[in-house]
Amino acid sequence: MRDSRKQGPWPRISHPWGRWRGHWRVAREVFFFVSTHTGTSLLVWLLVGIALALPASLMLVQTNLSRLAVDWGGGRASVSVYMELGALNTAELAAQLGRRAEVEAVALTSQDEALQEFTAYTGFGDALAGLTRNPLPASLRVTFVADAHADALEAVAALMREADGVADVVVERTWLERINAISRLANALGLVFGVLFGVGAALVTATTVRFAIDSQLDELKVMKLVGASDAQLRRPFLYFGALYGAGGGLVATMLVSLGLIVLEVPLLDLLGSFDQTLVLGGFDAAFVVTLVGLGSALGMAGAVLAVRQRLAGLDVM
Amino acid sequence: MGRIEFLNVYKRYPNGFEALQDLSLVFEEGSMTFLTGHSGAGKTTCLKLLLCLDNPTHGQILVNGVNVSRLSARRLPHYRQNLGAVFQDHKLLAARSVFDNVALPLRVSHMREREVRRRVSAALNRVGLLERESLLPMQLSTGEQQRVGIARAVVSRPKILLADEPTGNLDPELSEDIMALFQGFNEVGATVIVASHDRALIESLDNPVVELSHGSRVG
Repeated sequence: MRDSRKQGPWPRISHPWGRWRGHWRVAREVFFFVSTHTGTSLLVWLLVGIALALPASLMLVQTNLSRLAVDWGGGRASVSVYMELGALNTAELAAQLGRRAEVEAVALTSQDEALQEFTAYTGFGDALAGLTRNPLPASLRVTFVADAHADALEAVAALMREADGVADVVVERTWLERINAISRLANALGLVFGVLFGVGAALVTATTVRFAIDSQLDELKVMKLVGASDAQLRRPFLYFGALYGAGGGLVATMLVSLGLIVLEVPLLDLLGSFDQTLVLGGFDAAFVVTLVGLGSALGMAGAVLAVRQRLAGLDVM
Repeated sequence: MGRIEFLNVYKRYPNGFEALQDLSLVFEEGSMTFLTGHSGAGKTTCLKLLLCLDNPTHGQILVNGVNVSRLSARRLPHYRQNLGAVFQDHKLLAARSVFDNVALPLRVSHMREREVRRRVSAALNRVGLLERESLLPMQLSTGEQQRVGIARAVVSRPKILLADEPTGNLDPELSEDIMALFQGFNEVGATVIVASHDRALIESLDNPVVELSHGSRVG
């Protein structure tokens, strides 16, 4: 009784499972349409795939640079402090620096040790033996903890420059910092390109769906006349968008995979020249599912855009 | 459902054209009425408003006491699923078979495929096209296409059947056949409204006639 009041004098004709049958029928029709219009479908998949491949590649670059940074964790940032000749407070400064939280270790090299190292590495011992005094200064090599901020390095360097007996301070930018900087750049580029190319992928799908709507306007008008709801009119085009987007995501994974195959050998050769190695990671099942899902969502977003524009105010008679 | 009332209905289009002016009409449940008048008199506008494809500028259209021009977007499809409509240009889908065209309203309302087949066959049998169900509309004559349109309009067993110039492209003999079909549906209880300017056809039948001129009732 309550149901009939809610529906007024116009009862629903449908079966409770009818809605799902409708979805299933629309899905089959969309698959059929896409498979019979292979030229258009391939073109759309390729366009969406290319649009998604660049930000996806940057995401992979960022992932691998982060891994590289972790693998090269030994190359921490450091500051070298060179003392004036004959400075007497070197050990005191070393102790002072060692108490700081951001400092992991302080290695003190005395003037004598510096001379011994120089002699051992250069073989110029005989030349130096002729000098009346040792020309090499004592030095401190300050190594920082792994998560030390660049500001902390600068603060320690500034403190040392002002200390008595210090001749020079050199802040050493390590590979780690460079890699982290490149990683941050890749991340930022990935975000920017992700948004730009994501919008591009959605617009490509929107344009294609709009053409699909235009080719089926007569059918849509008749469907509306015989009682199709707005959701029923929209449904096939949302399926189109999702299918085009998901296909584009798959094409993107193929393009990225192709790129990895091409780049892997030269990249490993380059790393080998630094006595480093890297197993390229990030291209796994989760990456593929994310890319296909993202493509599908962007495709649907494009379809919603096209459907809203095209079906609003559809003139039936 | 089947009683239709137009109460002081006005319709002005965005270009300023007054299609209906203070129109009040009643179509009793189970009646078959001709809506006639010159081109632009307001016949098609009446049917558009009844199908809720447009809203009146002023006034009410009641179907069994419910103002259909104020139906929510959610209830509108159910209302349309309970109406049948036939058009002069048939509005058939060229790429779909006769069977699929007639089945469209049932599939839109998510009916089981077995029931769809049963009802479509019955409707096609009623209009004499059961043997042609697998053909495309363009493979049929104009009269046959109109009968497919009628089969599609009645396949969901609507209580109201609307027809806009259904015999406009047909010769007199075919027109009589089509009208006989409408009378048959009316005899089993459907409220039928036929918009037509075919005077000879209307006068050959003994049904109530509502004549419109410049959007108002004149007869």
